Order: sequence, then C-alpha cells, then structure tokens
Amino acid sequence: MHELAIQAMVGLVFFFSGAAGAVHSFIVTVHGHEGALVRAFWVTVRVSFLAFAISIIGGTILALMRTSSVRLLRYLATAYVEFFRNIPLLVIIIFLFFGMPKAGVVMSGFKAGFIGLGIYTTAFTAEAIRAGIMAIDRGQTEAARSLGMSNARALRYVVLPQAFTVVLPPLGNLTIAMVKNSALVEPIGVADITLTTDKLADATARTFEFLGAAIVLYLLLTLPLAYATRKLEAHAMRTQG
Amino acid sequence: MLQWLSDHLLGWLGPRVRWEPYTHWVTWRYLLLGLKITAEIALFAVVLSLVIGLVLALMRTSPYRWLSGPAAIYIEALRSLPALLLVLFTFLAAPRLHVSLSAMNAAIVGLTLYNCAVMAEFMRAGITSVRKGLFEASRSLGLNYVQTMRYVALPIALRRMTPALVGQVITVNKDTSFASVISVQELLRRGEILNNISFNPIQNLLVVAGMYWLINFSISLFSRRIEFRS
Repeated sequence: MHELAIQAMVGLVFFFSGAAGAVHSFIVTVHGHEGALVRAFWVTVRVSFLAFAISIIGGTILALMRTSSVRLLRYLATAYVEFFRNIPLLVIIIFLFFGMPKAGVVMSGFKAGFIGLGIYTTAFTAEAIRAGIMAIDRGQTEAARSLGMSNARALRYVVLPQAFTVVLPPLGNLTIAMVKNSALVEPIGVADITLTTDKLADATARTFEFLGAAIVLYLLLTLPLAYATRKLEAHAMRTQG
Repeated sequence: MLQWLSDHLLGWLGPRVRWEPYTHWVTWRYLLLGLKITAEIALFAVVLSLVIGLVLALMRTSPYRWLSGPAAIYIEALRSLPALLLVLFTFLAAPRLHVSLSAMNAAIVGLTLYNCAVMAEFMRAGITSVRKGLFEASRSLGLNYVQTMRYVALPIALRRMTPALVGQVITVNKDTSFASVISVQELLRRGEILNNISFNPIQNLLVVAGMYWLINFSISLFSRRIEFRS
C-alpha cells in the first residue's frame, strides 16, 4: 500500500511536470505567430458565415420545393438533396476549384470553399427545415387559408415562423458541423485555421503545439455554439411540452 | 451505339475527347482499386469506432463518476473538432510519440478518434431513452448492472439508435476522402492523379462523385428499409 502511494505520487509529479512542460512549450512556440492564427481564425469564421447564409436561403427554398404540390419542383429538390447528401464535401470543393475553370468559371479558393460548403450544407438544411414544416399541423395552413390568406402568405406568416422554432436546434447542430467542415477548404489553399497551423507545424516541426493551437481555436468556435444549441433544445422541449 | 450516346445525350458533360480515358478499362480499374482502399479505411474506422464508441457510451452512462467524467470530456472535446484536423494531427504527431503510422493507418486512427465520440453520443442517447422503470424492474429481478445492460437496455437501445448509426456510417464513408489530404491513394486522390495525367477534372470528379454516391445512396436506401420495418 505504502509503495503504491509512493508510485502514484511519483507518477503524478511526472504527469504534472510533463503537462507544465507541454503548456510552456506551447506558449513559447505559439508566441510570435498570434497574428497569423487570429487571421486564420477569422478566415474560418468568414467561410462558415457565408456558407451558413447560402445554406439557410437555399435550404428554405429547397424545403419549400420539397413540400410543394408541383411534382417537378418536388423531384428537383429531392434529386438535389439525395445527390449532395451522399457525396463527400471534399469532392464538391475540389470540383469547384479545379473542375469549374475547365468550364470557364474561375474562382478563388475562398469562393470555391464557401460556395462548396454552402451547396453541401444546403442539402442537410433543406431536410431539417422540411422536417420542421411537416411538424406544423395542417390545420394551421387550413385556418390561415380560411381566414383569406393566400397560400404564400399562409406559408410566410403562419407556417414558416413556427417551423423555424422547431428546426432551430437541428440547425444549431448543422451549424456546428459546418464550422467543422470548413476545415475542408484547407486542401485548396485557403489559409483557414487548419491550413495555417498545418503550415506552421511544417515550418517549425512543432506539430503538437500548432495543432494544439488549432484545437483551441476550433473549440473557441464550436463549444459556444454547442452550448447555445443545447439551450435552444431545452427551450424547444419546454415550449413544445 | 456508345458513341451515339456520348455524342447526343452526354454532350452537356463536356467534349467527348475528355471522356476518352473512360473508354479504357484500365482507368476504371485504377479508380476501383482506389474505391477498395476507401472501403478498407471506412470499414476499419466504422468497426473500431463502434467498439470504442460502445465502451465510451457505457462509461458515460455508468453511475461511477471516475468513469463517466473522462468519457464525457473525451466525447465533448473530440466531437467539437473537425475530423480533418484529427486525421492531420494523427498523421503529423504520431511520429513524435515514436509511433510510425502509415498514412492509411493514420487516416483510420484519425477517423476513429472522431467517430467513436460521435457514435458514443448516439449510443448514449439510445441508452438513456430506455425507460428507467425497465432498469429498476430488471434490477429487482436480480440481474446485476452488467446483465441489465447486456440483456435489457442494450437490445432496446440498439434498435433505437440504428438509423443514427447508419447515417454516421455514410458520414464516415464520405470522410474517408480526408485520407487524400495525407497522400493515401484512395478514390478521391486517384481521381486527382488522373486530373494531372489527362487534364479532365470535371469528368474525373463526376465519376468519383458518382462512385461515392452509388455506395452511400444504397446504404441510405437500405437504412430506410430497416426503419420502415421496425
């Protein structure tokens, strides 16, 4: 028992000295590169934000198409969702960046990145919003229609506002996934968190420190989003009983 | 016949000369061998993350804090990171731990690190969805904790979490493309290599996307059939 305690204490001392050494090495290594890391952080934020805007607008349109009574619109939207949900995002981004120039559309890595991320996430957002629209009772639409609202007005003022409160938690999760997926602009040379830290790690051979910095930066983005999503989930649970 | 098809129906896919590589079996074979490597990565990553995910989920739902605490920290931290970052991290950092992983193994380990956290979370949701009364009933019948889990809770939970897990399998299939970033010659990487040989990125990437799509769409159709049955 006595020996065990001594062993445990020695182990703890080694563990903490190791941890302290790691933290010290982390600070020493990252110092001097703060500017690059902060710029990289904002690139990731901008890519995610623009992709988010695309996916919300595109997702709403596609969800409306999927729930519409016109068969052609429904099929088109379903084809879009089923196609983009089942291919890797990296293929889309590389297609936009390396393939589209062959068709005469040249775009920067940044553009290809956020457009690709937006196109991909739109498929998932459309599914989430469609689930939200389906969750709204048909009686709501019928009541709005019998009050003299047009179909579009009923959708705009009655169904969509309710649907959005239902889909907010899934949208939160999709946003987190999208921030994480924004790392995929790395292979086409957009200096986001992943590429910047990867390059710095290459240049200094300090892989642990810089990838540790990347982990910290991503957690700075995703953990608050996860917290907000959990709050929204709790709120939705309370309001919907 | 084929020529007529490509002239009249596939014109919008680009000039016919760009499809020329795909008139040779060797191009297809090259890509299909890449698909095999993709499948290998996906298979290993899925099996490993299912096993480790189950352990993590059981740890997290266990009544002991020294088990549930570390599991919760691992799950929450790893779930919040990009899988690509973890693949890169495994590939670049493993040599510094004096573990030399091949690029392929690094991809498998990196994807497992991420996906076992995600799958653990799905499994936890499945386990906690089992009603408390069932636990109490089986405990009062004299089953111990392990037996309760094994014979009562997990069979029910497994059925409930299957759709989410199958969805995650599709995600893993797609995420195997990250291995191309660390130079594994899987499907996407081979497509890019073909780009550099014959300068037809649109055609190559369409074929590559089609291969991914076929596999993932069949899995999602299959999972929908399972859902309807249960």
